[in-house]
Amino acid sequence: MIRSYVERGLLAGSAGGLAFGLFVALVGNPLVGYVEELGHAAGEGQHSGAAASEAAHHAGEGLLPGAVTSAVSVGGGVFWGLLLGAVFFGVVYYFLEPAIPGEGATKRYVLAGAGFVTVSGAPWLVLPPQPAGVEATLPTETRILWYGGMLLAGAAVCLLAGLVYRRLSLRGARRPVATVAALAPLALLAIPVVAAPAAGATGEVPAEMALAYRGFVVFGQATLWFVLASVHVWLGVPTGRLAGEAGHGIERAADSAE
Amino acid sequence: MIAESPTVSDRLAQARHELTAREVAVALALAGALGFALLVMQEPLAHDALHNFRHSAGITCH
Repeated sequence: MIRSYVERGLLAGSAGGLAFGLFVALVGNPLVGYVEELGHAAGEGQHSGAAASEAAHHAGEGLLPGAVTSAVSVGGGVFWGLLLGAVFFGVVYYFLEPAIPGEGATKRYVLAGAGFVTVSGAPWLVLPPQPAGVEATLPTETRILWYGGMLLAGAAVCLLAGLVYRRLSLRGARRPVATVAALAPLALLAIPVVAAPAAGATGEVPAEMALAYRGFVVFGQATLWFVLASVHVWLGVPTGRLAGEAGHGIERAADSAE
Repeated sequence: MIAESPTVSDRLAQARHELTAREVAVALALAGALGFALLVMQEPLAHDALHNFRHSAGITCH
């Protein structure tokens, strides 16, 4: 049965990946290039330390022609969707389906929301998305550690939220009450955020551009999760579950025939 | 045996029954390698090629 779940997760993931790959191709590649130019142009005018470290940071640049970079980035977008689909809508959904609040489609959108908080939302609280062309002040290793840590914290908080919802609804709390109470654990993310070092950035990208850039990143990831959940809903309910015992037997036979 | 409403531990037990250790290892290795390459790989060529993707997806370990 887990095989059919992972298969469906991969299907949803390829749809989401194609959508996000398209997003990278049409918006991501040109926008990142443009913002980077802005940063470079301003940095060169100043010859500041930031510009120097920016130059060092992009020492690898120029190794590859722009077309290759763009193509690999689009491919990265496709694989990103595929990975999230397989992990969250394949494996995680298989194991946690009985525990996720809601019924049918709601379950998938709840999972998508939890996935967004885990993979993007929580890490962004400490390390907000930076436009290309600005240099983060924290060293790379520190950022990777905080990124991983916030990912785990996000997952833990989402699990806790699910647990709270389940406990309350088992005790007969009405749905709106349980929903609001389940959102409370998300506030726990404030603790690591306060403890985290400030993630400053040096660069010459205008504030409006940085804000627009953040909107673009958030919109891209939110859309990706929405597409993943919607395609997963569209794929329907796995045969093994609806048909119960009989369907399970058939699936076993199919699995062993593979 | 599937209960009328399965629980998380049912699912765990069933997965343990259906999957071999090798399958689990391969799946973990694949997902881990893909995640590593997309998120944290700092090797200049990969870093450079994935630059636009990482900025588009808001991946900051970069």
